[in-house]
This record gives sequence, structure tokens and C-alpha cells, in this order.
Amino acid sequence: MVGYFAVFSIFPVLFGFTLSLTDYDLLDPPNWVGLDNFRNLLADRLFLTAFANTLIFVAGATVPVWVASLLAALLFDQIFRGRNLLKTVFFLPVLPPVVVVAVVWRMLLHPNGVVTWLAGAWRGVTEIDWLSNTVLAPLSMIVVHDWAAIPFFMLIWLAGLAGIPPELRDAAHIDGATPVQTFWHIDLPQLRSTAVLVAALSTINAFQTFTLQYVLSPDPGGPANSTLVLGLLVLKYGFQYFRMGDAAAVSAVMFAMILAVTAAQLRFNRRAS
Amino acid sequence: MTFRSLCRAIFTGTAIVLGLAAASPGPVCAEQVTIRMWMHEHPPRIAIDKAIIAEFEKANPDIKVDYAVIAVSEFSTKLLTAFASGSGPDLFNQSVLMVAQYYSSRVLAPIDYAAMGYADENALTSNYLTGFDGIRFAGKLYGVPTEVSNYACYLNNTIWKIAGLDPNRDFPKTWEEMPVLAEKLTVRDANGVPRRRGFDFDWPSGPAYWLTLNSMMRQRGASLIDEVAYKATFDGPDAQLVVQYLVDWVNKYKLGGPQYTDTRTDFLAGKLATDCSFGIWGIPQMHDAKIDYTVKPLPRFADAKNDNGYDAYAYYMMVNARSAPAVQKAAWKLARLYVDHAVELFTGAGLFVPRQDVMAKTADSDSQVFLTELKKAKFAPRVVGFNQVVDVLVRGRDAMMQGGQPVASVLPQENDDVNAVLKREKARAEAMLK
Repeated sequence: MVGYFAVFSIFPVLFGFTLSLTDYDLLDPPNWVGLDNFRNLLADRLFLTAFANTLIFVAGATVPVWVASLLAALLFDQIFRGRNLLKTVFFLPVLPPVVVVAVVWRMLLHPNGVVTWLAGAWRGVTEIDWLSNTVLAPLSMIVVHDWAAIPFFMLIWLAGLAGIPPELRDAAHIDGATPVQTFWHIDLPQLRSTAVLVAALSTINAFQTFTLQYVLSPDPGGPANSTLVLGLLVLKYGFQYFRMGDAAAVSAVMFAMILAVTAAQLRFNRRAS
Repeated sequence: MTFRSLCRAIFTGTAIVLGLAAASPGPVCAEQVTIRMWMHEHPPRIAIDKAIIAEFEKANPDIKVDYAVIAVSEFSTKLLTAFASGSGPDLFNQSVLMVAQYYSSRVLAPIDYAAMGYADENALTSNYLTGFDGIRFAGKLYGVPTEVSNYACYLNNTIWKIAGLDPNRDFPKTWEEMPVLAEKLTVRDANGVPRRRGFDFDWPSGPAYWLTLNSMMRQRGASLIDEVAYKATFDGPDAQLVVQYLVDWVNKYKLGGPQYTDTRTDFLAGKLATDCSFGIWGIPQMHDAKIDYTVKPLPRFADAKNDNGYDAYAYYMMVNARSAPAVQKAAWKLARLYVDHAVELFTGAGLFVPRQDVMAKTADSDSQVFLTELKKAKFAPRVVGFNQVVDVLVRGRDAMMQGGQPVASVLPQENDDVNAVLKREKARAEAMLK
């Protein structure tokens, strides 16, 4: 087991980091450049654009997902007719791989496609550039991501809700608490660990985004780099620009960011407990 | 152990392991030479490739060919990673757009004329109309062309006639006339959105955009890059005029744009009346799609300084300079046999090379349009960091056409960005050579 992790986890990470300290074009031997790649990133407009785009995507792919998936879980935690069928339908977007989701949405978001018809028909608009407009394209990525992510995180919330002892709610009910008060004073504190888990997972997931931007966009990262995220920049630097050192440096930055955010969330959870 | 020495130790350890793996003796094979040959996927060509290889192996029993076909989308990356791991092919076929990168990294072996059976360079090139400029570096040739191509305009006669136009009489000679003509061929919905475009540029493809820009700029006496000085040169008024024309095409005349399906797909589907992004190889595709077509040269600017159509591009058969000398010789020998089947490659797979024997098969008027244009064509600049340069151009294009930013502010910035790429990549290449 130790050997497995050494070969397939620790070594690639260490090798990747070592690579980030070199200038390597895959064709010639690597040149040792120390921390130059990291220094250069600070002045690299492409990196800064990708960094900002990633932060925007993370914001759009975490906060709304956190809230909407919790609301969905609260809804499906109630008993009503057709709940199981509706829950299954709601969960369907989680089943296909992201590539399939992206391909299907690419068709739906065609300038003259179904979404345009739904969104624009009432005011006579027949063409909307969902994926070719510098403002709409990043928004479309977030919407498609959230559409597929919300049902997944809803399941985690549902598991958390199922773990709340029913006698706590019963006691609150007997004491005359309203549903909102019950949620606020009973459910939410009990769901703290689940909340941190959802926040951590959705943040890590959002930082690592790549497939949507690569497959959904007609020009990966475009238009005008408006959907260029760090994951895509790693591919660009490594295998299109032949700058493996820079690609590894961007990966190291991503790794550090994810580590920092996750550590902060775990620390918050520990403190709150 | 300091952090830096730890990193060095990891890197050195890895290098030693990889080095030992590479240096370990493989199975001893007496006199047999094996050529690893990599080609990108082009289904009509594969059967011809196999027949050529069979012929070669029969004539050279001591040489074995290990033939691999790789998907076009993966070809560049696989080639690169294979070179990095030392397992790259001995003989491979690649586009002119990438050759500067390989040349700067010393991957390319200069042509071995003796191994190919030629007395000298002249004996090889005299048989060709053009094609070698794209693979000449510092006076030496590093490959033989297997395809030399340029784009011209295909007109869908049926759509033109429905619009009341005669393809031979009405096709415009100048870019200035093109918007009016394209509008006549465009079918719009009630909101003015084109449902069928009259003519559009091939926006989605970065290399096609590169060819379009450079060709149109050259008509005006400008160019994207000075390959000798290694500098971007598109911040002048002539270049600006070309880009403004393209921006107007999308935003003022609303005749098309990057948001539409690529022009080749739409033309073959009958959703585009005119397309200038097919080469001579497009003729069989027109027949397959049952399109009644006419071929015309690319329009020029009314006050053009140069009479040129599209820039040329090519694919070359190249040999890996890191292969063993005996393998290199065998690879050049196979390359000779391969290009000697040029007629078969043209008639069977549509790969045109302007050799005398192939040109003899192109007497029809459509093919003559391509040949006449090819004589006036030059190869687009070959630079290290080509993918980065194209990315800068596409980013600028989107900023102007989809972000609405003015040409006058975007173009100088693009020019500076390309210069920064060229400067860095040239410095890297020079540092590697040291």
C-alpha cells in the first residue's frame, strides 16, 4: 500500500513540483530556473486572467450550489406524493459523465437552439450567443455546472438531515417552534459537519474545473479567454505552448489554493464545534 | 538537506531512472533495421500507405516498418510526448505550422540526398513547382512535401442561381464588393439573423484565421510577422484596415462570425453559398456531397499591393535526428519511395503535391485555379511558439468581434503580446541550443 501511494501519488506530486522549478519544452532536457516560473506568473496576463476566471467560477459554483442543494434537500426531506419519482428525476443530471453533459448542453445552448427559444421567444429574439459572448459564456458554464452539481450535493444534505435525531425536532415542535425556527435552531447546527463537507467538496470540485470549459465552449477557454480557467491553462501551457515548467507551476498554485481553502474550512468546522 | 537540494535530488533521481531505462540493451537484432513511422489519420490514404510499406519491405528485406496511424486531434501531443520520452518515431508526417518548433529543438534531420537516391538538392527540388520553402532552415532542407495546398473559393451553383446570380459573371474580384454580393446570397429570418450565409470566413479554426489574416494583409503589403527579424508587424495602417474589414463583416454587415458553425461543414450541408476554406482536396468532397460547384480565386483588395490569394501550407515527411544513423538512412529511403507515389496519393487520397507527374493529372479548370494561385502563394511565417501566437490572435479577434472593443486599441496590444511570445520563445530556443 505504501509503495502504491509512493509511486502513484507522492512521486507524481513531487515530480510535478520539481518540474515547476525548470524550463522544459518536452523536446530538450529541462533547465533549472529555480522559482522564476512562479515569479513570472505574477506578471503573466494569461495566468492572471485564468486566476480571476477561476475565482469567479468557484464563487458561482459553490455559494449557489450550497444554498440550492440545501433547499432541494429540505424539500425532498418532506413527505409528499410522488416524492421518490421527483427525487429520481431531479437526480438524473448527476448520472451522465461531465463530457456528455457538456455535449448535450452545447447543443441546447446553440445560438438558435432550445434555450434561445425558451429565453428569447417571448420578445422575438431568435439568436443568443450563449457560448460566444464574453459575458454570457462564463455564466453559461456556471449554470450548466450548478445544474449537474446541485442534485449531487442534495444527496449529501439529505444524508445529513437523516442523521438528525427526530426527538430534537419533536421537542421543538412541542415547544411551539415554527418550521423556520426549527430549521435555524435545530437542523442547521446539527448539519454543521455536512455544511463544511459540501463547501469543501464543491470548492475543490470548482477549482479543478476543466471538462466543461474544454468541451462546452466551441473554442476552449474562449471567447477572448473569458472561460479560461487554471485547469485549462495547465493544458495550454503544457501541451500547446510546450511550457511544461509553467504548466507545473500553475498546477502547484492550484494545489496550494485548494489546500488553503480546505484547511480553512476544516479549521472553521473544528472551531465551531 | 535544503529544499533546493531535495528538489534537485528528486529530479536527478528521476533522470537517472529514465536514463537507465532508455540505455538498457534491448533484444539484439543482427542487421535488421526497424523504422517507426507515424502518420496522422486520413482514411483514404491508409491503404496506400500500407501498399507502399509492403513494397518497401519487399524490396528491402533487412528493413522492417512499424507503421502507426494516430488521430489528427492527438497527433501533435503524442508526437511531442513521444519525443520527450525518447520513443518518438523515426519517420513522421507533420504540418508546416509546427516545423519551426521541431527545428529549434533539433528534432529534424537534414535530408540525406544519397539515402534518398538523389545527387543533390537540385535533383530533388527541380521536379517540384513549389513546396520546399516551408521546410528550409538556414539553407538546408529538412523534409519532403507530401501535400502542398492552398485555399480558393467554392461556389454552390444551385444557391447562386436561386439568388439570381451567375457564379462565373457575378463572383466579385475585390473584397470591397464582397459584402453586397454576400448579402444577396444571405437568407435572414424576421429578426435579421442569417439562416443561410452567403459567404463567411472560417473563424473557428485558429490556423485558418492565421492564414486568412496573413494572406489578406499580404495583399495590402503588410504581414503578421517578419520571420527573419522575429517580430510582429501588424500594428500598421494596412494591417489595421484588414482587421477592420473582418470586424465590419461580423458587427456592421452581420454576414457571419465566430459564433456560427465552421464554414466547411455548412457549405457541404448546403447552408452556405460560398466558402473559401477548401483546398484542391475539396473537389472529391463536393462530388460526395453532390454539390454543383464553381471554383474561383480569392478576391483581392481594390488597391492591393500584391496579387496573392491564400498562403500555402504543407505537410512534410521528416526524419528524427535522434534516431540511429542507419535508421535515418533507411527512413529517408522510405520517404523517397513514399513521395514517388505522389500520383497515387493525389488520385486516391486527394493529397496534392506540385510535382510534374501530379500536375499532369490536373488539367481541369478547377484545379488550374488552385495551381495559378499556388504560384503566387508564399508560406505563412514559421515561428517557434506558433500555438501561442495563434491564441493571441484569436483572443484579440474575440475581443473585437464579440467583446466590441475597437480595432485601434486591440491591434497594438495584440502586436505587443505576439512580440512578447516571440521574444520569450526565441530566447528559450537559443538557451536550449547552448
